[in-house]
Amino acid sequence: MELPPLTKEQISKVILSNAPPSQLFEILSQYESDACLMSAGSGSPETGAGDSEMLCLYYSGFFFAHLLTKQIPEARALTQRMPETLKNHDPSLQNCLTLLRAIWQNEHGQVYQILRGLPWPETLQPLVQRYESFFQDQTLIAVSTSYEAIRPAVAAGYLGLDIQAAEKGDQTIIQKFSDCGWTWNLETQLLYPSPITVPPTDNQPSRGIRETMAMLGNR
Amino acid sequence: MASIAALLASSTKLQNSEDRHEEQYDRQIRDLVASLHRSLSSNALNFAANDPTILDNFDPAADAITYLFLLRLQIQTLQETSPDKLPADLLPSGVLWTKCVHYLKNFNPIQGRYIGHEWRQLVELVAQAAQAASKPFLATQLIKDAMLRMDPSCAVFTSTHLLLVRLCLHAKAYACILPVLNKHICHFPGSTERFPHKSSPVLCADHESSLAFITNSSGLSAPLSSRDISRYFLYGGMVYLALKKWGEASHFLELVMSMPTTGPVSMIMVEAYKKWVLVGLLETGKLRPSPTMVAPHVHKTYQSIARPYVNLAHTFESRDLSRLNAEIDAAKNIWRADNNTGLVFQVLESFTAHALAGIKSVFAALTVTELSEQTSSLPENTDMAESVIASLIMSGSVSATLVHTPGHSEGTMLRFPSAHPSSQLHELQVQGRLARESQTLEALIASVKKSNNDIGLGDEFIDHLQKSQAWNGSGTDYSVAEDETRFEIDEDIMGDQI
Repeated sequence: MELPPLTKEQISKVILSNAPPSQLFEILSQYESDACLMSAGSGSPETGAGDSEMLCLYYSGFFFAHLLTKQIPEARALTQRMPETLKNHDPSLQNCLTLLRAIWQNEHGQVYQILRGLPWPETLQPLVQRYESFFQDQTLIAVSTSYEAIRPAVAAGYLGLDIQAAEKGDQTIIQKFSDCGWTWNLETQLLYPSPITVPPTDNQPSRGIRETMAMLGNR
Repeated sequence: MASIAALLASSTKLQNSEDRHEEQYDRQIRDLVASLHRSLSSNALNFAANDPTILDNFDPAADAITYLFLLRLQIQTLQETSPDKLPADLLPSGVLWTKCVHYLKNFNPIQGRYIGHEWRQLVELVAQAAQAASKPFLATQLIKDAMLRMDPSCAVFTSTHLLLVRLCLHAKAYACILPVLNKHICHFPGSTERFPHKSSPVLCADHESSLAFITNSSGLSAPLSSRDISRYFLYGGMVYLALKKWGEASHFLELVMSMPTTGPVSMIMVEAYKKWVLVGLLETGKLRPSPTMVAPHVHKTYQSIARPYVNLAHTFESRDLSRLNAEIDAAKNIWRADNNTGLVFQVLESFTAHALAGIKSVFAALTVTELSEQTSSLPENTDMAESVIASLIMSGSVSATLVHTPGHSEGTMLRFPSAHPSSQLHELQVQGRLARESQTLEALIASVKKSNNDIGLGDEFIDHLQKSQAWNGSGTDYSVAEDETRFEIDEDIMGDQI
């Protein structure tokens, strides 16, 4: 199917569409050749101002689509494919690079700081917020399987919550963890995470394996 | 064919025969190709040599042959009249570039089998043009899609495989080539050229294997050497390395390392060995035993030429960080010369994860403070050490859990689970893996059966059979066929040969 041309309006529409991450990635990946074609070579002044703005929005959006689909090495490769001139001068692409570095180095606190504190273009905000929520969910899953018992302040740090408040035993924060099935022990002042396991996205029925196991069990 | 009308008429004739008998369609296509060749030789198509709008009369999905002949004529005319080999019209955004893109996105793959030379030359030209414009990315997706359109199985190795993997490395478009790299290459063009399928001899028919239409003479691949094959797997391994897919990278590098050789070992093989040592350290933390397919003398050569890598691996295994740092520093010019600096630093970064895996075999649980004393690569600060360990656990590099105890952080414990990680796999994950393995096996079995059959019909095997029969009673069983029926077929053919 023929895609609408690559314009700022089209990219904004895709970003605002709230499409599932894989679909968002698929749509944006189909525009990369157009974006590459529109960008002038490295250091060339040929890329017009309007195009620059649109291309920066495109590359930032596509970068977030990589993050939302957990393709971190590919996101890194994308930053290497971005036109040098844009990458070196555009604040949002610079922010993307800083964010990638923080994710790469597992600096959870920095990731939240970058997502919340750095200036992101208004059009990109839906993706920035979406990724913050996604990152928080992913971290919650990871912490729940990595810690058997955890101090509230440490858990709050991983999830980008108020560390000082958590240290003082803030009930709102404790409640947030309790809502995820974690247990709070007042005596030890520790949270006991309940491991969250996410089944694979492949929703094929597992009847085959059950039948095989039942057959083995009968022997 | 001196007019658009004549070209359109022949095209309509071809389309009309498409739904009829395969042999008739085959004949029509061959006639059209021959007629277009004649027209080119007699300059009868010169009226279309300079006007790209003429191509708008044809749809590559229905007229892949006429479109490509006219497009190539226009490209050649432009190149002959221009001082540059790649004039602006051929470069990305140029008029003819756009036509090339339109063609490769939409061409009819069945018709494409009859114009392999022309199709490949167009693909190569697109790659050259994109590189000349310093935008190799523009050609990567286009060529990948065109390859998969021509042969969805990608099971026959062609020169385009190599071209694409090089382009992708150049463009840093690693994920782009995965749909091709992830397919199993089972054949090389021409290996069964003398034994076409009797049941479906025409090119346009549905063939079980693309080997039926990708042959040495089809032009869909340039002549290949063993060096091309080695390079493809080396570059493929490098793509997987860039994506941190260590298992796949190891497999590709092992294929290069185990290439049959009678003379000296090639530099490509040595290069693959060096990277393989580093991937082994990243994946397992050890210098793995050489794959069984690598001959002992070849392995010795590898070890002798790649001595700094072997030394690095031994130092890594000794779990002595200061020695490892010294080793890396001492040979930094070697890593740089081999373009392996990035990989070596990744090896250094993976040191803590593998050190923890070593400790796991000794301790069931210990505090982070005790662990910092055991592992020199962990920061002295307990909070920072805990943060490093937590990152390794969360990323899946280390299988363990952390336990905060009431009070100070010094009391944080690290526990290693006793159960094997695979026992914790979700049922659906196991099912997914089984389904993937089953698909791979099905694809391989089909190709293995075909290869068995082809080998059974090959000259070498027939000579071998003749000799073994002449010796009569040597007691050696040379049957490669799984069933007696196939053996009988071999006997018949051998009778014909004699």
